Amino acid sequence: MNTDTIYPKVREIVADVLAFDEEEIRRDGSLVDDYSAESIDFLDLVYQLEREFKIKIPRGMIEQEARSGLSDEEFEENGRLTEKGLAHLRAYLSEVPDDRFTPRMQVALIPTLFTVETICKIVVREQDRGEQAASS
Amino acid sequence: MFHFVDQILELEPGRHALGVKHVTAADAFVRPAAGGVQALLSCIIGEALGQLGAWNVMAAKDFSVRPVAGVVGEVAIAGEAAVGDTILLDTTIDSVTDDAVFYHAVATVDGARVLRLENTLGPLLPTEQFNDPEELRERFARIHHPGAPTKAPRFDGDPPQPFDLTFDEILSFEAGEKATAVRNLTGREAFLVDHFPNKPVLPLSLLLESLLQLGQKLLEGGGSRYVPTAASKVKMSRFVEPGNALVAKIRVATRTPGNALLKFRCEVEGSRVCVGEAAYSAVVGGRS
Repeated sequence: MNTDTIYPKVREIVADVLAFDEEEIRRDGSLVDDYSAESIDFLDLVYQLEREFKIKIPRGMIEQEARSGLSDEEFEENGRLTEKGLAHLRAYLSEVPDDRFTPRMQVALIPTLFTVETICKIVVREQDRGEQAASS
Repeated sequence: MFHFVDQILELEPGRHALGVKHVTAADAFVRPAAGGVQALLSCIIGEALGQLGAWNVMAAKDFSVRPVAGVVGEVAIAGEAAVGDTILLDTTIDSVTDDAVFYHAVATVDGARVLRLENTLGPLLPTEQFNDPEELRERFARIHHPGAPTKAPRFDGDPPQPFDLTFDEILSFEAGEKATAVRNLTGREAFLVDHFPNKPVLPLSLLLESLLQLGQKLLEGGGSRYVPTAASKVKMSRFVEPGNALVAKIRVATRTPGNALLKFRCEVEGSRVCVGEAAYSAVVGGRS
């Protein structure tokens, strides 16, 4: 399974949850900046994705994975990303345009970086995890 | 009083609950219906279903968190519950996570469906922000009586003043097209005492009922009369608190002979508060 395969369904769900026409949804569109997603939308989106793709998306998964290999102190300082943490996050969210990352950005604002492609990657990762768990 | 579950008949914490709501002359949230009877507002039946779901998840989480209104995928209105009726409330929890509950529910009167909720999501927030957990525990103990429904309490007093669901001011109105209206939440509204004691906020159910009625007015004219049959994709993204001026914008999105779909958006100081759609059927006339 790859992001191309699931993109049409993800686009449909994103459009439905954020009350946009499917044609308006772009793969690199920012959920927050381009489609005005708020916290309730993220809850709704995660639930709809879990239901559609029969997966479980752990809360805070992106942040946890982005900091993997780094200690808390290396990743953040007083709730803001360190230089090392930002580099880690940028590599992890490779689909997000560079200019959306800002130095010392707040950890709590990481979800504001998410694009539709980020959502596709999350779904594929969780599908793969589910398959691995089932086969082990 | 803004409590609408009179008795919990069955409870499987975190999974399923059955309860009842007696519609009595003491209810403030009624309106005239066919045959000269008074019927409970449809959105209050939805509120009762939501409250039963809330009791279930609060009991399952030992009253540490409580759900608040978030998303209603669909409210399908199929009938009415008149004064004297007992509504059977049936709520099924689809899943509960640390931050939200997802459920669906149905309300029936004498076996006939009157209202259905689908794809409903309630964010879970710390109870203390809204209620005293101890007071909730006591109230829960008072209504949790497994078994057969008890009889409706006798009411001999004067009927309460019906709650005013109209907006304070209609800012613009183009019949059959669109309207904008404003409602100021003063803090003196009676329902705020219960919703919620520690954080008074406008209930989504009352906001939705106001919007459905405004949409009904928008569709009237030329001898047509429409009734709401459903609301869908309803999403509450922030609280409306005392002092807030809520601006509601509603427009006719599609209209065919006999049916209409309206879209609404509510804002406070330009920020989105609630969005959704409302479907109507013509009971008299109907034009495209």
